[in-house]
Amino acid sequence: MDFTNLDFDQLFGFGDDTNPLMMLIWIIPIVLFIFYGQRIQLQVTSGEIKKAIKKLELFKNESRSELLSYVNKSMNPKEDPTKKIDRFLDYFTIMPVDMDPNGIVQKVRHIVRAREDFTRNHVKSLSSNTNEFELTKIQTLLEIATSLQMIYKVVNHLFLTAKKQNNYPLILPLQMILPFVMEEAEAIHKAIPAFKLGQPVGDGIGPMVVGKMMLDTKKETVAFQTVMGTTEYDGRQLFLLKAEGPGSTVGRPGDAVEKIVSEHKPDIIIMVDAALKMEGEDSATIAQGFGAAIGGIGTERYQIEAIAVNHAIPIFAIVIKQSVKEAITLMSKEIADKADEVRSQIYEMIHDNTKPGQSVLLIGVGNTLGVPQ
Amino acid sequence: MFSKEKTIVPYTLERCNLCKTEYKRNFKEGDFLFSSTNKCHSCDGMMIVEKIFGEPLEK
Repeated sequence: MDFTNLDFDQLFGFGDDTNPLMMLIWIIPIVLFIFYGQRIQLQVTSGEIKKAIKKLELFKNESRSELLSYVNKSMNPKEDPTKKIDRFLDYFTIMPVDMDPNGIVQKVRHIVRAREDFTRNHVKSLSSNTNEFELTKIQTLLEIATSLQMIYKVVNHLFLTAKKQNNYPLILPLQMILPFVMEEAEAIHKAIPAFKLGQPVGDGIGPMVVGKMMLDTKKETVAFQTVMGTTEYDGRQLFLLKAEGPGSTVGRPGDAVEKIVSEHKPDIIIMVDAALKMEGEDSATIAQGFGAAIGGIGTERYQIEAIAVNHAIPIFAIVIKQSVKEAITLMSKEIADKADEVRSQIYEMIHDNTKPGQSVLLIGVGNTLGVPQ
Repeated sequence: MFSKEKTIVPYTLERCNLCKTEYKRNFKEGDFLFSSTNKCHSCDGMMIVEKIFGEPLEK
């Protein structure tokens, strides 16, 4: 095709012999897009967001019904728990004022723990015969249902506000964050079966590694839902710490570290945890570093860091990289296969950073569901 | 468009504490890591749950 002899008059319909109606064919859309472009975009974007909201609503409803059926099956409550569960799902947490950040960590920890204690006691009140293992699972399922309900409510609110105001720019931030929100919601939704069946999740790799080392040790409870075992390796004393399995809990490592450090003053702290991988990174890769490897709201990390600073104890970290979905769903084979390698890296780290006669505090951080000690 | 939805099948891997023989089977509710399940078929050792994991099964 020869592009050198284009007739622009003919192309844009400016020629003498051009039908004026033909000109309108391309002028009308331009005028339409100038005046109504944003509204058209709003309609197109709305369609996509509506689909996502429908999916979120489905996740919310499914997680609620799964929770209810699990409570009825495992707790066999005397009264219908629906009303009570629905009330739990609507509970909210008001975070403390941060205008004056002094002491905010203690305030956040107090509020979060009060909520946890309240939920635990009220779940327990549904049936007094339920064992601790089932209670922790139900508590986690309740957290899942609450999170999915909250995600649905917030996304729906942002969407409806933009629609009500007929404001396209208002819907843009939602359109931008929606893929990330959906990824997280789908991961949370897919976590339900693992928590119902008591299977270890990807986040449980830290407790799995340390739990095996604790098998033949004498164990004691050092903080709420947190246990410690003591053993020896190559002339070094090891204090092994993890959440008390096989229930679904992360324990209270901050309180436990405070107690162990005040009583035994270990020379180094090693933390083993799952860490979020970056896009492009392979799952189940192991990385070593420095600092407190622990996720969550930040209160436990703050506590551990403060203790380490006060006692001048170096903190080493070993993390196993994984995606959000891998961290909260059934542990993948790739991650489970890395447990032995992580253990050998821990021994190497102990050997390289301590001398015989010194002591090490080793913490397996994460949810210990399906992982005893 | 072309990605197949993968079903994740949960497995339990048992290992004999003496002869280290491994046996992979489907996960059963009540399986926990490090718990002893039954006697080893090839020696007098006990089979211990070594790993519980999911593997994809392509549809």
